[in-house]
Amino acid sequence: MSSTNSNGGGGGYRDGGRDGGREGGGARRSKFGRFGQKRREVLPEEPLDYKNVAYLAKFVSANGRIQSRKRTSFSGQNQRKLAAAIKRARMVALMPFVGRV
Amino acid sequence: MTLQRTRTYECMCLLDNREVRKGWQTLKDSVLAMFTKHGAKVLSGRRWDERRLAYPIKGQQRGTYLLVYFSADTQALSAVRRDLQFNESLLRFLLVDCEDVPQSAYEPEAAFDINTIPSDDAPPPPPPPVASSVESSSDTTAEV
Repeated sequence: MSSTNSNGGGGGYRDGGRDGGREGGGARRSKFGRFGQKRREVLPEEPLDYKNVAYLAKFVSANGRIQSRKRTSFSGQNQRKLAAAIKRARMVALMPFVGRV
Repeated sequence: MTLQRTRTYECMCLLDNREVRKGWQTLKDSVLAMFTKHGAKVLSGRRWDERRLAYPIKGQQRGTYLLVYFSADTQALSAVRRDLQFNESLLRFLLVDCEDVPQSAYEPEAAFDINTIPSDDAPPPPPPPVASSVESSSDTTAEV
């Protein structure tokens, strides 16, 4: 109890913690909701298919790397479909392994 | 006893433009014959696109894609795959399982002219040599 009081009521975080030792503020606000990030849905007109190169190109970085789930906001199942589709597109030279699409 | 099961597959073939220019229909028939040779039933085979490749393959910067839907016995698939690998007019192919054939695959193939294919198959020309500018600069210094 004494340690929490010494922090000045900073939401229970200790100095040097993940909030960088903030003081005087409320509890750290999560970037996402209580049940996690809102999932991106896969629409039937934009399937996660290796032939849909224009759509897949939105989910690769400037170097051609597949973006993480945190950036794409796909569910785990759809993120795996996305990765498989991009890898297939790379195999038939529709997308580059390295570099801009 | 071997398990006999027929499945639907999708094959994306990347064709060499040098072979395409010789005749599209003959090339397409020769590729489709590799599927039917091993008992597969070709449901659809149509030109998908002609575009610049993301990276050069066998010195080719562009290629023509042929999209084939076929149903075949699972046991015959390795023979089909082996035949595709031996074909020299195919730069690449991708053979994947397919749940259902889209309706667009049954539409008639759009007519196209093989003469409209851009002829930049060759790799880009090397940069001009910079030795000439060095020589000219050395000449000027000699004159001075």
